[in-house]
Amino acid sequence: MTSKIFRSILTASVTVLAATLIIITGFLYDYFTQIQREQLKDELYIASVGTENAGIEYLEDISLKNYRLTLIDKDGKVLFDSVKDVSEMENHLNREEIKEAFEKGKGSSSRYSSTLTEKTLYEAILLSDGTVLRISVSRASGMTLMLGMVYPIIIIAIIAIVLSAVLANKMSKRITEPLNKLDLDNPLENDTYEEITPLLKRISRQNSKIERKVAELKRKKDEFAYVTDNMREGLVLMDKDKHILSINPAAMTLFGADENCIGNEFITIDRKHDMIYAIDKALSDGHCEIKAIYNEREYQFEISRIENENDVVGTVLLAFDITEQANAERMRREFSANVSHELKTPLQSITGSAELMENGLVKPEDMPRFIGHIHKEAKRLVTLVDDIIRLSQLDEGGDMPKEEVSLYAVAKDVFETLKNSAKEKNISLDISGDNGNIFGVKHLLYEIIYNLCDNAINYNTDGGKVDVTISENDKEVTLSVSDTGIGIPSEHQQRIFERFYRVDKSHSKKSGGTGLGLSIVKHAVLFHKGRISVDSAENKGTTITVTFPKTK
Amino acid sequence: MRNRFDEQLAKLNTEMIEMGALCEEAIALASKALTTGDVNLAEKVVPISSDIDHKERDIESHCFKLILQQQPVAKDLRQISAALKMITDMERIGDQAEDIAEIITYLQGKTANETVHIKDMAAETITMVTNSVDAYVKQDISLAKSVIEHDDLVDEYFDRIKFSLIKMISKTPENGEYALDLLMIAKYFERIGDHATNIAEWVIYSVTGNRK
Repeated sequence: MTSKIFRSILTASVTVLAATLIIITGFLYDYFTQIQREQLKDELYIASVGTENAGIEYLEDISLKNYRLTLIDKDGKVLFDSVKDVSEMENHLNREEIKEAFEKGKGSSSRYSSTLTEKTLYEAILLSDGTVLRISVSRASGMTLMLGMVYPIIIIAIIAIVLSAVLANKMSKRITEPLNKLDLDNPLENDTYEEITPLLKRISRQNSKIERKVAELKRKKDEFAYVTDNMREGLVLMDKDKHILSINPAAMTLFGADENCIGNEFITIDRKHDMIYAIDKALSDGHCEIKAIYNEREYQFEISRIENENDVVGTVLLAFDITEQANAERMRREFSANVSHELKTPLQSITGSAELMENGLVKPEDMPRFIGHIHKEAKRLVTLVDDIIRLSQLDEGGDMPKEEVSLYAVAKDVFETLKNSAKEKNISLDISGDNGNIFGVKHLLYEIIYNLCDNAINYNTDGGKVDVTISENDKEVTLSVSDTGIGIPSEHQQRIFERFYRVDKSHSKKSGGTGLGLSIVKHAVLFHKGRISVDSAENKGTTITVTFPKTK
Repeated sequence: MRNRFDEQLAKLNTEMIEMGALCEEAIALASKALTTGDVNLAEKVVPISSDIDHKERDIESHCFKLILQQQPVAKDLRQISAALKMITDMERIGDQAEDIAEIITYLQGKTANETVHIKDMAAETITMVTNSVDAYVKQDISLAKSVIEHDDLVDEYFDRIKFSLIKMISKTPENGEYALDLLMIAKYFERIGDHATNIAEWVIYSVTGNRK
């Protein structure tokens, strides 16, 4: 900016200066030449009159400082010259001013010296005796004059340069200052130069365009972030060198990392050998799946290679929490193992006894004991199959007739049935509370209370107590069965409702039961849309609370 | 040129983490074998230990190459020299895990569950090794300091185990060999704890430049 302005100012001033110089010099030079020629004519006239009267001697007598006088005869031969020796001078007939004087009586001309530094003016006149008298004067040419002015011109030029530099500097500052203060966020509200309005308009247009693009990008980014932030699956994006590009909160919790890990290698957040190997495998093969346990939960990791036009760009890692699925799978496995075990044990016992009897290895007096054994085991099998059938009925969720049932009455019935087994262990049964009317399936509710009370008696200590409490409000009926028995260790409390799950792993026959009781209770409660909870302390007792909604 | 140097430093970092992970794996396997008495698990420690040895050689030559070719200064030099020292400790951890695994094969299926403290001590040393590697990864000085503090706990466990083993021998002298094996294992764990402490100290040195 400054240099441009400087150049324009300098060019303008130098051009004006040069033009002025040339015009003025030329004009004055012409003017002085004219005056000099007039003087020359006057001098010639005086000299010619003198020569006419006194002859050539007149010329020899007068001494002129500035002028040169030459006398030439009609053949062009020089008769007299005031500067040079006559004998050395050539014929002057062809000189312009002489020729003119012979023809017209008067002649004039001007010639530059060979070096152009001098200009000579000539005036010639024809005398009455036929000779021509010529007078001439030399003076500096315009060129010499100009050369003489070189120093002042240089000084002026320097002044011009300095002045233009200073002015240019100031001017550019004055021009650019308001430009620099422009508010480009609101370009149309500026009031600086009218000349830049188109520019400001364009900036304004571009500003709004940029704003739109930025908003769009932000929206897309937010959408992506919203989706990834809220998904339960962990997501990690990596480039081909396994540097983390993006990681969502779920994955951060999973790997115990924070925001700072972005840009670092994946190994800095998780250095499990299997995981690193899996990512390498995904990078080379395209896809890899592994399962691993983090924070006591089981995860399935899906790692896939990302490609763009056959170039490997990176990998994406997705982590799914499969703890529930894994548990369900484990339960299914355990169920089939348990059910076959539970079915096989009594059958084995029956076949064993029957075989002994068949081969006649049993003494007649032992017969009743063996037959009793077979009977007992067969009954056990029937109970087990009954339980399984009941459970599968509940699983099917078939339609069962519902009616108004009083839990209090049902509990009384149960107590009647369990009276004998309670007596055997010296356990006192007690029931208290409201009537507890709900709308449900009577035999299922009986099943619930029976199983809970049966457990409360079986897992009780000698001389213990079993209390059934029923309470109701407008919305719910709560039934709790508490005992003073051996209790359930806390690590088992979550799993006691699983099929065949036993706190005592030996599947002992000591306490009897099929291992399906609580499972049936849970399903029956769920059938009535109720809730069940366990509160137990080891060696102190267990309270199981069931809550039913009153709605139909 | 410097870019390449940074790349090489990052590679060194990755290799260090890999070696740390191998150490963790070796000691975790050894301690699992100890609690389950599974000889097969114990035998898996041997190849990991040799992996650790290879890794040590690799990192060593990597460090020398960096020092010779790049003439690192200040923090970079500290990182490299700390790495050189740390791999020695890591290699020792690997060897000791292997030694523990070897003793487990002599126990003939017996586990260390009789002396409960040895299980806790193993868990404590695993935590120390994990945390020391974590401290390196995250360049976390406070974590490194907590590792150093934990060492006292491991030493205390060792004394307690020693005491209970003495009681065991005096009560049942026929279990003497078993007790001595357990004592050796406990000693190895105690040494592993010391190496983890060393690693943590080198982490502090590489970050702050201060050495105790």
